Amino acid sequence: MTYLIRGKLALLLKIIVVGLLSAVLLMLAQSAFAQHEYIISAFLALTMLALALTYLTKVSIPLKFFIPGILLLIAFVIGPILYTVTMSGFNYKTGNLVSKEEAIIQIKARAVEAAPSGISFDLKLGKYKGQEAILVSDIANLKYFVSTADSRIPVAANDVTLNEYGVAITAPDFIALTDAELAGADKSYSNVNFVYEGIYFISLEGFDAGIVSQQSLEYIADKDQFKNLINGSVYSDNGRGNYALPDDKTAILEPGWRAPIWFENYTKILTDPRVRGPLVRVFIWTVVFALLTVLTTFALGLLLALALNKPIHGRRIYRSILVLPYAMPSVMSILIWGGMFNTEFGAINTLFGTHIAWFSDPNFARVAVILVNLWLGFPYFYLISSGSLQAIPSELLEAAAIDGANPRQIFRKITLPLLLQILSPLLIASFAFNFNNFNLIYLLTGGGPRNELDGQIAGATDILISYTYKIAFGTGTQDLGLASAISLIIFVLVASISLYGLRKSKVLETFA
Amino acid sequence: MKKWLMHDSWRHVIAIAICLFSLFPLYLVVISSFNSSGSLQLTSFIPREISFKNYQLLFNNPTIPYLTWVKNSLIIAGSVALLSVMIGSASAFAFSRLKFKGRKLGIQLLLLVQMFPAILAISAVYVIMERVYTFAPAIGLGTRPGLLLVYLGGAMGVNIWLLKGFVDSIPAELDEAAKIDGASEVQTFWLIFVPLASPVLAVVALLSFIGTFNEFILARLFLVDMNNRTVAVGLQQFIGGQYSQNWGPFAAGSILASIPIVIIFLSLQKYIVSGLTAGSVKG
Repeated sequence: MTYLIRGKLALLLKIIVVGLLSAVLLMLAQSAFAQHEYIISAFLALTMLALALTYLTKVSIPLKFFIPGILLLIAFVIGPILYTVTMSGFNYKTGNLVSKEEAIIQIKARAVEAAPSGISFDLKLGKYKGQEAILVSDIANLKYFVSTADSRIPVAANDVTLNEYGVAITAPDFIALTDAELAGADKSYSNVNFVYEGIYFISLEGFDAGIVSQQSLEYIADKDQFKNLINGSVYSDNGRGNYALPDDKTAILEPGWRAPIWFENYTKILTDPRVRGPLVRVFIWTVVFALLTVLTTFALGLLLALALNKPIHGRRIYRSILVLPYAMPSVMSILIWGGMFNTEFGAINTLFGTHIAWFSDPNFARVAVILVNLWLGFPYFYLISSGSLQAIPSELLEAAAIDGANPRQIFRKITLPLLLQILSPLLIASFAFNFNNFNLIYLLTGGGPRNELDGQIAGATDILISYTYKIAFGTGTQDLGLASAISLIIFVLVASISLYGLRKSKVLETFA
Repeated sequence: MKKWLMHDSWRHVIAIAICLFSLFPLYLVVISSFNSSGSLQLTSFIPREISFKNYQLLFNNPTIPYLTWVKNSLIIAGSVALLSVMIGSASAFAFSRLKFKGRKLGIQLLLLVQMFPAILAISAVYVIMERVYTFAPAIGLGTRPGLLLVYLGGAMGVNIWLLKGFVDSIPAELDEAAKIDGASEVQTFWLIFVPLASPVLAVVALLSFIGTFNEFILARLFLVDMNNRTVAVGLQQFIGGQYSQNWGPFAAGSILASIPIVIIFLSLQKYIVSGLTAGSVKG
């Protein structure tokens, strides 16, 4: 073992490993740079430098120990946290997902309207002197021309060959695309405005037809405005990620872009009743859910621990069975419970002879969530309570018994207070964990039931984290900015709870 | 004898009642896995038929790459467990034993960062990995190595913090002695600390393995391709989505995937429990 840590072989190994890693990182940084991902590229390059400096020189010994961990933390925890903070200051949502430059390009591309004349032509896609071009046939007037993005070249009728429908398929200098080329040509051709006459141009409708169109909006770069060429109205940057009419704020051009709106996502949470209402409701349920879960799991776990606190027959077998729910992969148990609560075929209704629609009624759904979490969580508290019960000095209990206390008094006055003192950090940790118990809610009820007719996103069993997930990744409007703001509020809440718990457990004392 | 039974009978009543509560869903899965109809119905407590159809489906149907899913889960969870303990214990050792400038600040930052629930940053991680994909398709969104990195990084805060708790509880006398004898920090770590802490490291690796094996939502978002899925995501498809409510193969697949985890858990129960408490409770 020692030769791997000290000596020439170790040094050689170290140089090879660090060298290889640096090479890979440098390569990645380079390709990231080529894709204009400058922040990621810079991070990768700095990572490479840090690794090489740390392991090949003697800058700092502690760094040798924690640099891999710290780099991973920065990349996948601190980086995403900072990114979340940034996103929370933007109106980053469906309709405002792209950058401003991209939004301008998309608005221009969308602002194409058929010309009043409404003429359409048969045409053939191809190349004219190496440029994307179309060979247009005006069958009615027996006129033909080749058109590119910047010019229109008339072709005499006797210079073209026609197919059986009278559509020109060849012309001088024009090379039609083969079928194989057509398949890949969609993007490059559909964005081109082929010259027709004046402000009119031909835009493609499929591979063999085009319609005479006009641009309905014009971008005026020096004023940063869009002008409607048909009715003359002017859309300007409303400072909130959209081009809008000055007198009608709701008349906006799609799409918008990600614009900084600073604290608006946060103020919206506080002041907009459509956001605040559901959020308060979800928050209350989150707290109730986490509290009830901790209470029920702890109570059942403690009851079991007390019952099995004596070496009775079969204790080992009981113990093995009782930890099974905890040992089973929870994803699978949650899904199984989901099936058991089915109204028609579910085992729960069959067993009790009831016909309850568990997941359609808000209160039954809440009961189901608590019940399933009880099943999942009580073994944990059973295990730690039985451990802690043994840690209570027996002299204390004996002394109390000698003084004439009955078992109930002993439990209430001595055992329980001592247990609570020992376990309070774990109870708080459990509260914090269940506060964010995403898997349970997502897999069991999906947050439901909810009133879809009212356009509600939040369901009766949604907790903050599953609600946030829906806001960010849901089926309707996806609001990443608002979701990020709520995420950070949850973080502050959970961090405060956990810090309180840690202070109780006095871990902080070690470096206070 | 009789008095003894009377005295302890309440203990047995409670234990048996809760055992039934524990076992009921598990029993239901077991009988469903042997039921060819594919439902999770409780028609009778004693199964009327024993069919291996569901198990055969998992291994013989080419559209259900069950073994690949299990392999993916084992590789991902195994690598995350191994790497996170290696990297995490080195960091924890530094924070716990070495003296350097900014140590206190580092610990406080670590404490705060490890509280950030990984799932809150999910959209940020998603966007970042989407970008990584554009220049490095092998480790970006939709790949197993990409998911592995996200798991490894996302759990690093908690792992370092947990391991630091353990390292603090291991007496420092031995490595101080090694230091006096002229050992360098790196030697102390590898030759004194790692062998001493190996049981603890094994427990943390195991917890990390189980945690990763159980992870659902990131795996679901990240791994779109059928052959890239983990067993949890793959099996979920039977009862939601394209197969719609096909409980038979789900039950069979869940049982097979759970058995190794349950066995490991039961056999190492004692250590795991001490690991669960030692991270946060001291003394």
